[in-house]
Amino acid sequence: MKISLSWLKDYLDTDLSVDELVALLIQLGHELDAVETEGASFAHVVVGSVQERVQHPDADRLGVCQVDVGEGNLRTIVCGAPNARAGIKVAVALPGAVLPGDFAIKKSKVRGVASDGMLCSVKELGFGDDHDGIWEMDTDAAVGTPLAQAINLDDVILDVAVTPNRGDCLSVYGLARDLAAAGAGTLKVLLDIAAGEGAPTTSFETRSDNVKGFSGTSLTGVQNGESPDWLKRRIEQAGLRPRSLVVDVTNYVMLTVGQPLHAYDADKLKGTVYAAEAQGGEGFSGIGERELTLCSGDVTICDDTGIIGLGGILGGEGTAVSATTQNIFLEAAFFERSRIAQTGQAHQLITDARYRFERGVDPEMVAYANQMAADLIVQYGGGVRSETVVSGTFDVEREVITYNSDLCRTFGGLDVSKEEQTNILQKLGFGIDDKGDVLSLAPPSWRTYMENPEDIVEEILRVKGYENVPTELPSTPLFKLPQSEAAPLLTYDRQARRALAGLGYLETITYSFINRTHAELFADDADALQDLDNPLDADMMATMRPSLLPGLLVASARNIARSEPISKLAEVGTVFTAEGEKLEAAGVCVCDDQRHWKGSASAPDAYTAKAGALALLESFGLNIASLQVKTPAGPQFHPGRSGSLVLGKQVLARFGELHPNVAKQFDLKGRASAFVVDLQVVSKQKIKNRPFETSAYQAVERDLAFLLDEDVVAQQVVRTVQNATKPLAKAVEVFDIYVGKGVPEGKKSLALSVTLQAQDRTLEEKDIVEVMDAAVMAVQKHYGGELRS
Amino acid sequence: MSDLQNLQSDSLAAIQAAANLDALEETRVKFLGKKGLISAEMQKLGKMSPDERKEYGAAVNVVKEAFQSALHSRKQTLEEQALEDQLSLETQDMTLPADAYQLGKVHPVSYTIMEVGDILARLGFSHATGPEIETDFYNFTALNIPENHPARQDHDTFYLKPDASGERKVLRTQTSNVQIHTMEKFEPPMRVMSIGRVFRKDSDVTHTPQFHQVEGLAIEKGLAFAHLRGVLQKFLNDFFEKDVTMRMRPHYFPFTEPSAEVDIECLFCKGDGCRICKQSGWLEVLGSGMVHRNVLTHCQVDHTEWQGFAFGCGIERLAMLKYGINDLRLFYESQAAFLKHFGKSVSQV
Repeated sequence: MKISLSWLKDYLDTDLSVDELVALLIQLGHELDAVETEGASFAHVVVGSVQERVQHPDADRLGVCQVDVGEGNLRTIVCGAPNARAGIKVAVALPGAVLPGDFAIKKSKVRGVASDGMLCSVKELGFGDDHDGIWEMDTDAAVGTPLAQAINLDDVILDVAVTPNRGDCLSVYGLARDLAAAGAGTLKVLLDIAAGEGAPTTSFETRSDNVKGFSGTSLTGVQNGESPDWLKRRIEQAGLRPRSLVVDVTNYVMLTVGQPLHAYDADKLKGTVYAAEAQGGEGFSGIGERELTLCSGDVTICDDTGIIGLGGILGGEGTAVSATTQNIFLEAAFFERSRIAQTGQAHQLITDARYRFERGVDPEMVAYANQMAADLIVQYGGGVRSETVVSGTFDVEREVITYNSDLCRTFGGLDVSKEEQTNILQKLGFGIDDKGDVLSLAPPSWRTYMENPEDIVEEILRVKGYENVPTELPSTPLFKLPQSEAAPLLTYDRQARRALAGLGYLETITYSFINRTHAELFADDADALQDLDNPLDADMMATMRPSLLPGLLVASARNIARSEPISKLAEVGTVFTAEGEKLEAAGVCVCDDQRHWKGSASAPDAYTAKAGALALLESFGLNIASLQVKTPAGPQFHPGRSGSLVLGKQVLARFGELHPNVAKQFDLKGRASAFVVDLQVVSKQKIKNRPFETSAYQAVERDLAFLLDEDVVAQQVVRTVQNATKPLAKAVEVFDIYVGKGVPEGKKSLALSVTLQAQDRTLEEKDIVEVMDAAVMAVQKHYGGELRS
Repeated sequence: MSDLQNLQSDSLAAIQAAANLDALEETRVKFLGKKGLISAEMQKLGKMSPDERKEYGAAVNVVKEAFQSALHSRKQTLEEQALEDQLSLETQDMTLPADAYQLGKVHPVSYTIMEVGDILARLGFSHATGPEIETDFYNFTALNIPENHPARQDHDTFYLKPDASGERKVLRTQTSNVQIHTMEKFEPPMRVMSIGRVFRKDSDVTHTPQFHQVEGLAIEKGLAFAHLRGVLQKFLNDFFEKDVTMRMRPHYFPFTEPSAEVDIECLFCKGDGCRICKQSGWLEVLGSGMVHRNVLTHCQVDHTEWQGFAFGCGIERLAMLKYGINDLRLFYESQAAFLKHFGKSVSQV
């Protein structure tokens, strides 16, 4: 909410400087979004007088002016405005000025003529749209006077961020009251307003429990012209546009005392005006061509013709005041907070009135605001006003809070004497009944969310200043939260991020909501996908991700498109599956196209992804030798180049080359491989201490090469050799695969290196021959593998 | 005698003249080989009388030793030279790129979470977690934000399509749902933190539809607002690794009372006012307050016995301030340059 300092001082008698007032507002809980000195944008803009204008030698439409800006010497300024002529007073932006829109004025040459400033139009100064010529100032100010001073634009605008619990501070008077209570000065008494004459000519009443009180005033013979300058100025200071006297006055009163009002063209009203709830389904045309279908329970203002206003939120188009309106019915009412919130939310209507009513207005201010507005309209628009009459009541019952003043110390941590607390609360408007051990406190009519003793503690603390509360560290707790199911998972979450970085992966974070088609591609159960009801982007942010891979693939493709491919990209995060929320870690490997002068590395493939998965699993301390590869990994992967890493029945990870059709969906032209590790499953594995065995005796390495059918997989042969050479085999590794010349069609050559070592002796040749023969026999028996020489 | 002197000077001159190891070997053979000139003088000794032999022998020996010593040192010189010549031929351009290596990086949000978690752990807070898809009750109602509360409007909530039972779940707008789950599951006293992803339907220069929050909750006997101040000051000092000037000012959160927003003196202008702090000299970093009695009551915690405080802040905000990241949106764009620049290697985290 924007208010000006001079406006605030209409209601607050204070000696405090702007800075002190700002500091106090912040201390009280009213943050400032901005503090701006009006006219600050007019630094280096001064009043000048055009002494001479001659035609520019090289441009028909330009003139060269000699301008007196009070410096003794005249300034030469080139100007294209047709009305630039000798004798007029103008606003001159000198070099160094920065006009609205970051328009910096510099010395320049215009078609060969040096120009030492600029003569400004109204639009260039940000006052309006008039750009037909330069502004001919009607001013007595001497040449050289700063523009801001010449047009009295030297007020300070405070943009106050009022919190939702402080509806009472959504007005100049309310802020003045809060500041005064905190010692900023004296709150000025609201002026008495003379009662009008006679009863209102419009009859009205409330027929709704949501409108406890309804006030009305009739005005006749008003001329609804332009507002006086001071009023327009205030309206502009608040960031609104002046419209007409009646509208400006209702806004002004709302901004000043916090009570929204509505003015009806009385001649357009038929019969009695009353407040009542909508049945639901009725149509309503609000001001500003807003067509609504009302919900059951919406509070409406009606006359005999039907609905003429959405109470407390929006006036109706049909009964709005216009420039020709002469007779006015002025309404101010007290609407139920939660009802206004509900209606406002249902229709997605944000208006100044709704904003105030749902945060709470002061019921005891309603009738005064009505009178104040009526009085101002008559004062500046002429005519006659009636008395202000009330239907219903503005007496609102308030719960009394029982407060023990010790709470300020025990809950707030600040020791304030009971006397001082009583004094503070009194200034804040509380009704106080001292019952000895406790205070019985009646909150002022303007405060909302005043329910509990803790609310009172906050009042004391904010007036004293939070900064005066001591800073204490609580003692170290002797308790620890019992290990929740989540605790091991958090450890894995952190370890995974570090491990992946250690493996050369760049960690990214993608959005939890993704494209629906992408989600379907990676969902084990597409029926379990969860869609957003109100996505921000219905295409790319529609569905909760069932896997990290779609996000990573989109990110990879985007980096490739930017010619900045990331060869290894990873993410750790929550995915949303049929079994609920799960923690996953995933990596994507793409070819980064980096050429190196020593020769390029081989392109990543399924084995690169497999290495990522295995290394991550091993980094957690898992014995990866006990894992088995099951193929393929799933429909997202290449059917012949993917697999799962399983332990018994549990799938710990999946890896492989992406299915080309999937890669295509992500605009990945080259091949991409990926892996996913299920941290939920991993976190449930017991990490066992494995014995460390070392031998003092010489290890022996022997190679074996088998000719095998092409579909025999390495894992089976390795396991067979391991089993046959127990317990001497320390390692069995594949070191070569060969298909081609010398190997029959349909066969492959698989070469293994077997490391043998005994714990208790140096192996002799006969030991070695014995186990190697056993290994060869076993492979021959199971896979018909013929030993190659 | 002058013959021997000539021989000595000739032989030494020949050594110095030898330009390489081959020439030096030739010189050695010429003087000390079987038929070498010095060898020849030695051979003469056999035919001499003992006295002559003694005298001449000593003289020849001087020549021989001088030659051998010079030969040795010349050999060393030439060997060194030969090695230098060879090394100079092997010279490569050391400005060429090194072998390609991949330095993996941890995302700034991740390592900031780690830093924050470690600091709070030292202050006695244990980790707690909760779901990211949440019911309206845990996200709002239990936190004292009933329906039609104006605070709900500030949250720009994402809703999921109604499930089979017709319930319309929300993506949690704050990690505070964990407060409720934790208080329901465990008895006080407790000191817990929850760090995780939250969602708001908002996207512009300063908002992304998802971000991360850290939240701390302490429920103990006798905890007061002063303790909240103490914990926050310590937390901020530890996080920013310096004595931070902190300012608490009243604010409104439905789930705390009293409530406070917490600013720190602008890290960039030291409070003088700059573009980053919008000329105010302060940077808002945290929301906090004493846990509202309604929240405790919702969780069956007796508010007359237990008092507590809670605080929360955006991880991205903390990371931006500490590491000078100037655009929030960069966190979620997966841009290689960003990840490499602001990510930290495993040895840094």
